[in-house]
Amino acid sequence: MRKLSLLLLSLSVGNLCAQENDSIPKKDHGKVFGGFESNSQWYLNDKERGLTHPEDPIRSNNYLLVNYQIGKFTAGVQVESYEPNALLNYNPGFKGTDLATYYASYKSDKFEATAGYFYEQFGSGLLLRAWEDRALGINTALRGGRILFRPSDNIRLTALYGRQRTGFDVAHGDVYGFDSDLNLSQLFKFETSDLSVGASYVGRYEKIDMPNPPVDELTSAFAGRFNFIHNSFYISGEYNYKQKDILLNALNTLNYNFVKPGNAVLLNFGYSKEGLGIDATLRRLENMGFLSERTPTSAGDGLSTSLNFNDKVLNYTPALTKQHHSNLANIYVFQAQSRVSFVDPTIMMSGETGGQIDIFYDFAKETTLGGKYGTKVALNLSSWYNLPGSYRFNPAQYETNFFGVGQKYFSDYNIEVKKQLSESWHTAFSYINQYYNKEWLQGGEEVNTNIVIAEATYNFSPSKSIRVEAEHMWADADFKNWAGGTVELNINDKYSLYVWDIMNYGNDDEKKQVHYYNVGGAYRIGATRVALNYGRQRGGLVCVGGVCRFVPESTGLSMQISTAF
Amino acid sequence: MKKLLVLFLFLSASAFAQKEMPNVTLKSEKNKSYNVKTDFAEKDKLYVFTFWATWCVPCINELDAINEHYAQWSKELNMEVIAVSIDDARTQKRVKPLLNGKKWPYNVLLDTNQDLKRALAIANVPYTVVVKNKKVVYVHNGYSQGAEKELYNKLKQL
Repeated sequence: MRKLSLLLLSLSVGNLCAQENDSIPKKDHGKVFGGFESNSQWYLNDKERGLTHPEDPIRSNNYLLVNYQIGKFTAGVQVESYEPNALLNYNPGFKGTDLATYYASYKSDKFEATAGYFYEQFGSGLLLRAWEDRALGINTALRGGRILFRPSDNIRLTALYGRQRTGFDVAHGDVYGFDSDLNLSQLFKFETSDLSVGASYVGRYEKIDMPNPPVDELTSAFAGRFNFIHNSFYISGEYNYKQKDILLNALNTLNYNFVKPGNAVLLNFGYSKEGLGIDATLRRLENMGFLSERTPTSAGDGLSTSLNFNDKVLNYTPALTKQHHSNLANIYVFQAQSRVSFVDPTIMMSGETGGQIDIFYDFAKETTLGGKYGTKVALNLSSWYNLPGSYRFNPAQYETNFFGVGQKYFSDYNIEVKKQLSESWHTAFSYINQYYNKEWLQGGEEVNTNIVIAEATYNFSPSKSIRVEAEHMWADADFKNWAGGTVELNINDKYSLYVWDIMNYGNDDEKKQVHYYNVGGAYRIGATRVALNYGRQRGGLVCVGGVCRFVPESTGLSMQISTAF
Repeated sequence: MKKLLVLFLFLSASAFAQKEMPNVTLKSEKNKSYNVKTDFAEKDKLYVFTFWATWCVPCINELDAINEHYAQWSKELNMEVIAVSIDDARTQKRVKPLLNGKKWPYNVLLDTNQDLKRALAIANVPYTVVVKNKKVVYVHNGYSQGAEKELYNKLKQL
């Protein structure tokens, strides 16, 4: 803590000096920039739900990022502090206060070199993505070196080596990467079109402690991609291949007799012109789990492993579904099934296949459906399935077909209509139909849901508004029906207050028919935001960008602070 | 905790120090490269960088609201809105159809690897950064219905 304070102090001083120096433009003393974020929670006992607070009821996750730039050089550190303990169900590797990441880089127009920790993504990330998401407790930055070379506007080459961050340490697998991105439009003298292609390689080396292992210690993966735009039409595609590697059994240990290669195909195309957008994505993933260490580490509770915390995962396979903002539409959230997972002789998964379609349409002003202010419609459809083929549990084996679908995992068909009624009234209506195969995805029952959401915002003045939202979910199984509502008051540009509640009134177990109420507010000024919330957290998946973290039921007070400088 | 608060105040104070955009290169949805520090540097022009994502409802409301007045604002002020999408591989493909479906006239940059978001330490979107003569002159986070009018009043003063 003391170290952190000192660091902060020196930084503030440095910053003040930097400010003074702004008036003397000739001398460049560089500049300091970065940010601070703190997420704290005070867990309380909740008699009605039978919850007792954990040991260390007050917990806090803090991140301080400080960078210094002078000329073409930039260097930075991130200090993280989880005191006295991390928020509930975070990756157990995040403990105490320590220097988390550091880097130094040089950047000119054509050349860029980084040493230390860096974030990177090749193509759409199906082979490699090193990223950070604090809400999910993910930081998979690579520690090593990266060189980027842009000899012209049309060519970008990247080469890297690193070990992946896990907690305050790094995984012991070595990661090698190479990526190229070429824009061919000028070469072909395209004027109304744009064509670019790319190729990448990712290798993960990890020693296998046995004589004559069934696979290479270096697992190589290759990908090729293209992106073509012609006027209002666009299409892009990607093919990824991962060399054969040892698969995990149901207990997440290596099964040396279960060795398979993996592949991923992604195709996206669409058409868009003013007032209309149509987009379709198809994706098929087969055995695309790609870890920086072959065997996941146990979290020590006998249940979870590093996989549960998205830790030591090299690639990024997000669920291609719409991310809803309503509370009830986020109860059954799909997570992409990229890995081979044999749960029991009836549930055997080798990946996923499916697609998503989006249509955006704007009914123009002064038309029948558009009215005075226009009407905006967004339609979204997605459906995801296991790969079709033959599966055998013991000894484990599978053969898949490229086309067709297997057991259905999830579908989501939804429409949203937004309409402004007058200068001061904005309204929106959504209907969502979901199918969630909880039996296959988590263990439990299959669920079909219908959700309706209606919301209206009224402006008392340009800066003062009230938003009211009502939502209802009909579900035929599991927790069954829910109802909820939100009232949000924006007092001005700086202060906002809200209260929301969802109730699981349809639960077969009367004890579980409880209210999940929350009340809170936020204060915002410049780059700073402070938010407070008191209420009940529903146990389940908290998801950001299609990646989820499991959080236990809790009740308490939370505070979030973020600022940039 | 107390110490932390004091230092936090220090940091907030320093947030008013004038700074430049970081040296980051991003691609637009039309696949053209832009350096956010050097390619938005026309003298006395206001560059309004609005950070958004396809899954962020207030962001879309803000960009819709600005769009309602954009023609008038651009006429009265020498300004340009650059909508920086922080969508990652999951939702990035919806950027293009969405902005056309909504008839947005903005130049859209794709911060897929979140390099710019990280360099500016942006924790939440919507987030707005106004740049004039290569200096950051105004920062604002969040959006509530109607707040675009305050942004406009602010822009008139800058």
